[in-house]
Amino acid sequence: METATTLFAFFYQFVDNAGYLILAAVGLTIIFGMMGVINMAHGELMMIGAYTTAFSYHAGVPAPIAILLAGVAAGLVGIVLERLIIQHFYRQLLSSLVVTWGISLMLSQGFLLAFGPSILNVPTPFGSLAVGEQTFGVYRLVLAGVSLAMVAGVWALFAYTRVGTDARATMENPKMAEALGINTARVYALTFGLGSALGGIAGGMFALTATISPFFGVNYTPLAFITVVVGGGANVVTGLISSVASLAGVQTIFNNAVSVYIGYVAMFGAALLILLLLPSGISDYLERRKMRSVSRTG
Amino acid sequence: MQTPSPEVAKAAEPVIEVRDLVKVYGGVKAINGLNLKVDAGELVSIIGPNGAGKSTFFKLLMGIEAPTSGKVYFHGKDITRLPCFRRARLGLGIKFQNMHVYQELSVFQNLFIPLRRNHKPDKIPGRVKVLLPQLHLEGTEEESVHRLSHGQQQWLAIGMSIALEPEVLLLDEPAAGMSAEETRATAEILKRLNRQGVTIGVIEHDMMFIRLLNARTTVLHYGQLFAEGSFEEIEQNENVHRIYLGKI
Amino acid sequence: MRIFKLLTGPQTLGRGPLFWSGFLLVMIVLALAPQYLSRYEIILFSNFFISGFLALSLCLLWGYCGILSLGQAAFFGIGGYAYGIVALNLLNLHENTMLAILAGIVVPALFAAFIGAIMFFARLKGVYIAILTLVVSLLFQTFLLQTADPSYTIGAAYLGGFNGLRPASPDDPLLPSLILGFGSATIELDGRSYEFFYFVLGLLCLVYLGLRCLVNSSYGYLLVGCREDSDRTETFGYDVRLIQLSVFCLSAALAGLAGLLYTAWGTYVHPKVFDVAPNILVVIWVAVGGRKDLTAALIGAIVVEWVSLRLASEGEISLFVLGAILVAVMLFAPEGLVIKLASLASSLRPKRDRAAATRVES
Repeated sequence: METATTLFAFFYQFVDNAGYLILAAVGLTIIFGMMGVINMAHGELMMIGAYTTAFSYHAGVPAPIAILLAGVAAGLVGIVLERLIIQHFYRQLLSSLVVTWGISLMLSQGFLLAFGPSILNVPTPFGSLAVGEQTFGVYRLVLAGVSLAMVAGVWALFAYTRVGTDARATMENPKMAEALGINTARVYALTFGLGSALGGIAGGMFALTATISPFFGVNYTPLAFITVVVGGGANVVTGLISSVASLAGVQTIFNNAVSVYIGYVAMFGAALLILLLLPSGISDYLERRKMRSVSRTG
Repeated sequence: MQTPSPEVAKAAEPVIEVRDLVKVYGGVKAINGLNLKVDAGELVSIIGPNGAGKSTFFKLLMGIEAPTSGKVYFHGKDITRLPCFRRARLGLGIKFQNMHVYQELSVFQNLFIPLRRNHKPDKIPGRVKVLLPQLHLEGTEEESVHRLSHGQQQWLAIGMSIALEPEVLLLDEPAAGMSAEETRATAEILKRLNRQGVTIGVIEHDMMFIRLLNARTTVLHYGQLFAEGSFEEIEQNENVHRIYLGKI
Repeated sequence: MRIFKLLTGPQTLGRGPLFWSGFLLVMIVLALAPQYLSRYEIILFSNFFISGFLALSLCLLWGYCGILSLGQAAFFGIGGYAYGIVALNLLNLHENTMLAILAGIVVPALFAAFIGAIMFFARLKGVYIAILTLVVSLLFQTFLLQTADPSYTIGAAYLGGFNGLRPASPDDPLLPSLILGFGSATIELDGRSYEFFYFVLGLLCLVYLGLRCLVNSSYGYLLVGCREDSDRTETFGYDVRLIQLSVFCLSAALAGLAGLLYTAWGTYVHPKVFDVAPNILVVIWVAVGGRKDLTAALIGAIVVEWVSLRLASEGEISLFVLGAILVAVMLFAPEGLVIKLASLASSLRPKRDRAAATRVES
């Protein structure tokens, strides 16, 4: 019985860590993986989502709708940012990094000016689950479930819809896409908006578990970025899943074996190691293996 | 060039040799079992239709990319695993297909970087003075590179590779985008270098340029050696005509 | 003569008598500052100069070699802590802080050599290096924040968590300011003193002139070669990884120097120096002034620091405004304000001078 509890605790932690990473990274995956822009303000878009959720919730909006509103708010902010600033920095990786860092500072400091350093809270729903002697919050599992659903949704959107095909065509070759009658400027804005909206939803969902302040987003951005680059750009979905599985796995093991801090350090160490061995990310490696086996049989 | 005498004695040994070279990019075999030798002092033109693997071949020679399998030899020494900068130190020089000059620097500064490899800083202005007329770039020393014409930038890119004083010089499309007159001048530069003892490999699409070089010509097709011979032989080779027209 | 040629080479803006008389004038004005500034303002200016070292360190790395570090404050912090830890332990033995100063420079450089070797020899892309340096800085902060437990002592130094570095026991000496000299011939430079102000100003001037010589030397050309086209530079027989690693270490040493001066200035160092804000500030100084020129980055640091001090009196808007300035500069003058102004000024001058002046402006 005790081992079962320990095992479940371990599994629970892994799912929790993995869901956390996926949610933090899913929006950035689209923006970095498809547009090649590193959005250092991603965490601040999540912060906007968290504030939106908290304010709407306290105004009487039910939590699920408040979270969707977070997506809308962050998505709109994202589109405005893209049109005003970020569109000038495509294909300039380091400059886009610097300018979005400036935006992130403006957003977090702007919220500090507007709402003060005070901390907001939204109660965590669903109560908890008892396994053996220990209890586990159900919401964390819901979070992980939703994160998977978001990944599946993103995949379906890009694979099956007209908008998705247009977006992929644009990222592949913008000039050609333009010649085919695709409004590439709109595609860029929408893609950036979608990435931001997913960040906002993630922020909204985290709002129910974490305390909300203007600096809510600061630590998410590097974490999300690491998750995305470890996954690589060859296949957004397999990249994200494999990256999250390995990073969350390492984090959970070291977290249990040593300490929370070492868990973090080990995760970044693992990320560095993966990047050293597979500089283009895990998904690139998987795609190449697939390709090789196809060319061998074919 | 300053080849020591024992090397001359072994003149029969090729400077560059590749054996069973293969490079696969995501399922596509850009180079597919290539065997080739270049002797000291030769001038070799490499032609072939688009996608024949010419540029890839140069990148494998220079170590910009690693082959999937096969070997590269320099004076009989296996250099397949050597990084690019070590090959440069052995005496290989390259000009890439895209010009690769330092756009934000002056002509002098562009030449300074390769010259600094073998010369003390105070000797460099003298070397630049010697090089510029050879490259038809007199008086542009202080000019920012992005203000030069396309042809001048090409010459500078070639000149930077020459400035390294390599034993073997690889030039990927040295005459691309040049006028007929500039093309002729470029061919002269290369022939003069070759007479001075530099082994040269040239990739080019411009048949007029290849005719001007009038050198041993190697045809690549689908990453393999398709035909080899003097320029005249290749020019009259029916099969070579056909691959350019896309029939094979 | 040769030195002068290096000082005014093409990799640095500012040549000719006009620039150097301006330079001299600024130095005189600063040297006379104690005559017309209050003690409080002198102390602040000492701190601005310390920021100057940090800006120069990022300018060298990012502007000249094209390697953006978003975690430059990590080396600053390591330098600060290394100085503090060594000083606390050796003060009773030596009664000077010379070894601590050395540690404040060498330890960050060694740490940079360690992570730099991994990053550059694996040929990681520039953006990865940028993010990883930031992560390193944040990991240091997280680590130091949880060192409030009394077990975190190194000899006479107690890491102290959130409260910052302090003596391990009441018997140990306090964190000292700079004590230069050996044996009995020592001089103490209190962070609030005029001596400290002159010392930092002089050192900054030396480092600035030294870096000017460095970037105009063959090494400087190679740095720019790596920035402009690292593949091409490698085909000329240069081991680009070693060049990148060396400049990364040099930059870390400079940032460490800034950090140790900061610790000595306030006799205080705390985990917040590793936070996002100080890291982003360094980028703002250098980007706003102009990353591709030492003078521009240095002016950027001092002016931005001064502006944010003015803004601080208006309430909490300082960082918000700095963020806005960064975004505006990146949009409208991506080369940086000082470089933009310099190129405007040179286009107003007669044509004869222009050819020489435009060489670096792009």
